[in-house]
Amino acid sequence: MAAIPSQAKSKQLRACLLCSIIQHPMDFRKNGCPNCEEIMQMKGSPDRITVCTTTYYDGIIAVIDPESSWVARWQRTSKYVRGMYAVRVKGRVPEDVEAELESRGIKYRPRDQTDQD
Amino acid sequence: MDEEYPMSDPIQAENEEEGPEETQPERKTGKSRGSIYDALDDEEDDEGEDDDDDEEDEEDGRHGRKRAKHRHKRAAVNRFLDVEAEVDTEEEEEEEEEEVGGDEFIADAGIEGDEDDANRRAAVNARLDRRERELNDQDLAKIAQNLHERYGRAAVRYTGDMNEVPQRLLMPSVHDASLWQVRVKPGRERDIVFSLMRKAIDLEYTAQPLSVLSAFQRDSLAGMIYVEARSAQQVNQACKGLVGVYPSRGITLVPIEEMASLLQIKKQDLTVTPGTWVRIKRGKYQGDLSQVMDITENGEDVGLKFIPRIDLNPRDDASVDGRKRKKATSGVSTMRPPQRFFNYEEVVKVYGRKQVSKRNQVYVFQNDTYKDGFIEKDFKLSALQLDDVNPTLDEITRFTRGQDGAEHENAVDLSIIAEASRKAAITVLQPGDHVEVFEGEQAGVHGVVDSINQDVVTITAVGVDIDGQKVDVPARSVRKRFKAGDHVKVMTGQNADETGLVVCVSDNVVTFLSDMSMQEVSVFSKDLREAAEVGSGTNIVGNYELHDLVQLDLQTVGVIFKTERDTFRVLDQNGQVRHVQPHQISMRRDSNRAIATDSEGHELRVNDNVREVDGECRKGRVLHYYQSFFAFLHNRDISEHGGVFVTRARSLASLAPKGNLIKPGTDLGKMNPHAAGGAPMGGMVGSAMGRGPRDRDIGALVAIVKGPQKGYLGVIKDTNGNLARVELHTGNKVITIDKEKLYRKLPDGSLIPLSQPYNPKWGQGGFRTPGAPARTPNPFAQANGGRTPGWTSGRTPNPYASGDGKTPAWNASSRTPNPFAAEGTKTPAWNAASRTPNPYQESGKTPAWNASSRTPNPYQDGGKTPAWGASRTPNSYASDNDRSGWGGGWGGGPSETTWGNSSPERPAETSDWTAQTPAAIPTPYSAPTPYTSAATPRTMGSGGAGERSAPTPGVSAGDEDDSTPAWLLDPLFQGKKLLMEITGTLGSWHGGELDGAKGFVSNAFRTLSDALITIEHIDPGRVGTSVEVPIMYLTPIPPDQVGDHAVLLEGLGSASRATEVILRQLVTSRVWEVSKPSDPKTFTCLEDKMVKLYIS
Repeated sequence: MAAIPSQAKSKQLRACLLCSIIQHPMDFRKNGCPNCEEIMQMKGSPDRITVCTTTYYDGIIAVIDPESSWVARWQRTSKYVRGMYAVRVKGRVPEDVEAELESRGIKYRPRDQTDQD
Repeated sequence: MDEEYPMSDPIQAENEEEGPEETQPERKTGKSRGSIYDALDDEEDDEGEDDDDDEEDEEDGRHGRKRAKHRHKRAAVNRFLDVEAEVDTEEEEEEEEEEVGGDEFIADAGIEGDEDDANRRAAVNARLDRRERELNDQDLAKIAQNLHERYGRAAVRYTGDMNEVPQRLLMPSVHDASLWQVRVKPGRERDIVFSLMRKAIDLEYTAQPLSVLSAFQRDSLAGMIYVEARSAQQVNQACKGLVGVYPSRGITLVPIEEMASLLQIKKQDLTVTPGTWVRIKRGKYQGDLSQVMDITENGEDVGLKFIPRIDLNPRDDASVDGRKRKKATSGVSTMRPPQRFFNYEEVVKVYGRKQVSKRNQVYVFQNDTYKDGFIEKDFKLSALQLDDVNPTLDEITRFTRGQDGAEHENAVDLSIIAEASRKAAITVLQPGDHVEVFEGEQAGVHGVVDSINQDVVTITAVGVDIDGQKVDVPARSVRKRFKAGDHVKVMTGQNADETGLVVCVSDNVVTFLSDMSMQEVSVFSKDLREAAEVGSGTNIVGNYELHDLVQLDLQTVGVIFKTERDTFRVLDQNGQVRHVQPHQISMRRDSNRAIATDSEGHELRVNDNVREVDGECRKGRVLHYYQSFFAFLHNRDISEHGGVFVTRARSLASLAPKGNLIKPGTDLGKMNPHAAGGAPMGGMVGSAMGRGPRDRDIGALVAIVKGPQKGYLGVIKDTNGNLARVELHTGNKVITIDKEKLYRKLPDGSLIPLSQPYNPKWGQGGFRTPGAPARTPNPFAQANGGRTPGWTSGRTPNPYASGDGKTPAWNASSRTPNPFAAEGTKTPAWNAASRTPNPYQESGKTPAWNASSRTPNPYQDGGKTPAWGASRTPNSYASDNDRSGWGGGWGGGPSETTWGNSSPERPAETSDWTAQTPAAIPTPYSAPTPYTSAATPRTMGSGGAGERSAPTPGVSAGDEDDSTPAWLLDPLFQGKKLLMEITGTLGSWHGGELDGAKGFVSNAFRTLSDALITIEHIDPGRVGTSVEVPIMYLTPIPPDQVGDHAVLLEGLGSASRATEVILRQLVTSRVWEVSKPSDPKTFTCLEDKMVKLYIS
């Protein structure tokens, strides 16, 4: 379960570039990304948060039941925690993360819907 | 040994938590704060940064220790309870806190016995040591695994296991829940999605949890959200109670095949790449074109390059020190400096060397970086306008030209804009257009467009070897082709409607010489079309014209520097260019009389040639001043804004030598017109000349005829354009009101529109001095103090006295010697007339009075003699019993007054006159003189007689149907609503403003010298008002339609004079069959012998 931002309108809300979860930067700082903290290493590091998350996203999904939701599946977030997710996130993860993903053999899918297959 | 974990876990957890902050404890121990609790520190740090955190946290800080202890107790208890079975956010949080508590417990142990600082430090050190040891002991992976087992989520290894699946395999199937579209209040979509989420969490463990799976919103789909659920019922339940959701407007199922596309909606691709053109949305550079140089990794910030706007005329004190400038810059913001490339020397000159520093190739000035004349600045993507940028050729060439005006080698690639506009190009092609193919296989072929089928254009090739063949080419590969000498018209863009001759074509940019401005204009060929017409060179749109000073809103005025088809471009006093439509202009301002002072304190006026003394030293001609502060100048040599620019009057200096400099030794006394004894001055000195009179309307008594103040009277105190400030008689109030709503109130109570010319001097005697003043100098003006003696009874020889018993002039003409003739050596005019065909005689009606009042009449042919002439002479005349006026008119007899009482005009006489007497000349036509001159001789009227006779207004003389309907004074006609027309007043009575006005007679009365008829207007716009008209300006209106009621002007058979009749039938032209209303018996009557009655 991710922290649900209290202010929907807040301009500060940021979306994770890897899993697209939307949180207040404060929450990212406090708890990191609930899905990909292990690889993004954002907790307690504002610098890291600015490069790994963005305010430039479009569309917000309230994922209430990730396991059975098609929307979550389509967004590839069904294994992730419940929370608010962005439909589209602009930008790519930093290169080190991309390299790390590659080394683990994980296919990186940017969340900007540029490569749909 | 599970029991071990609770002891070590807190530290591990802390490690996890504080990993990145490991150096902090040392730092913190140095603080004077009495707490060493890292956890608390952490929490307070958070609090410090977290604006959203509220009081509760603050309280935590204050009562930290207390609470910590409390927690500690609980923690100690908790350790023996199995609280980990349930995983819940709250629980987790509590647990975290508990760990913290545990930590404190340890720390507390250290602190408890000893408050000493050293001890505290020792405790910290000990703790650090242990932590380090433990870190070494356990490998991180194991820690992670432990955590994973315990908390599940703390650090999931990111596997991205779903990433391998191709997207298409994720398409929804029938087994998936459906998407439902729900209408919501526009703008609340996000909130509602969030609310749904919170609601779902809140109700999770209640009896009725929400069964929706997800909900989402797209920015591009305003007013709706999508909810994923198995049934509409569940959606309804979920939405119940949420503000701004309108389930009643329908919960619509999204078809399965559309589900994916909802999530695939892309906003119009707003990707920016270096080189893209964008516009700045806000601030000083609002609307300015800029080019993207670089983009930050996350795409939020964009480095831009654009032309700076540096104020080269900062407030005087601004450049001295930074503090003051700060103030000044905020104030100066009203005036936007023009775009100029950064020039080190210029800036240094104005701001001082200290303000600009140079690093490598760039200058830094006021925290902005300048390179090659451009400013380079980072902007948020959201502060930029990415679409619809439409850079104009002008802007881009400016960019390209760069600072020194030379082409830079990194010239901007026009293809960028061309590319952007190419799509549009497809739509501008028309069959018949000459095009050329510029890319692809057929590149170089040109021809005429034959047909267009979506993106494919069929052209008939011209020239080369495939001449005449039809070729299909993609529309985007062709462009319109023009050659030098073509006459073209711009279809779109800011130059729309300009026409001109093509002088140069390079690729897709066509340069033509405008027919209007005679300047070269470069446009894209796609915007052009061949046209034979020549653009209308008008500079006028609506009521406004090029270079007019117009009021845009309360604070803003501007000068129109370009007129477009139906809009203006206006440069306002702040230097901003605005696009306005005529209706957005509240008024035109007149600054013709505005003055301002230049930098040396001299007076400046509109149209002075001036130059700036500082800044850019531009020269120009002053178009307008605004508030004596802003000066709008025009200089044809400046291309920007059509040569119009705005500056402060204070920074101007006149180019022309000033004439109003008072040289030493000038005798001021001579310059004083009063001291000079009224001698004519050779003109005023210097630019003080030409100051116009103040508005004539000022001081006028007016009535308000429209609006809430309708009916009020007041006096105009001031005018400004079409507005007047009126001091109301009532309420002691001054109001500003449109002049349109004001009517001038004449002393006689009548109202005339303010816009009509009105001379108050005439006004007073207005109705009495019909006079000729406008055309002929009033001969009596001097002798008699401006009054025409003719109508001043006291001075007029009493017609009855002198005229009585005399043979009427015309009688004399045929039979008796003219009494007047004897008086002078002159042959009476009508003597002459008798020898020549006398017009009056011819017509059979020689209205004595008529002739007399209009001297020149004799020269006119009889047809012009009013029909109701002598034969019908009104009784009043009969009783007057003299017609000598007539004779007087010609003969110059002073006793001509006859009809005098009815007509103010006295025939002129004088010896001069006689010299020219028609008598001497057989033909009246060749006789003396045009009316004007006819009047003139009287000026020098030889004797009292002459003086007494009034000038004959030339006009009325020429007015054929002018005659004095003296019968109006006949009691028989009283009370009848006789329709009359005001004629012959042109140039005389009221300046002719009422000429042609129609109305009916409501009253008639005779003054000693004159007769005034009150006319009730019937003309639209005047209805309800009345005016007193000298009788002589009235002409009866004859009836002209069957059914018209009329009054006989003279007796006819059984019908007596003034009998009311009704027109029954037209017999011949101007002859009617009429009958009395009560009597069917008809008789015929001439139209001219009747006057129409007003039937309301």
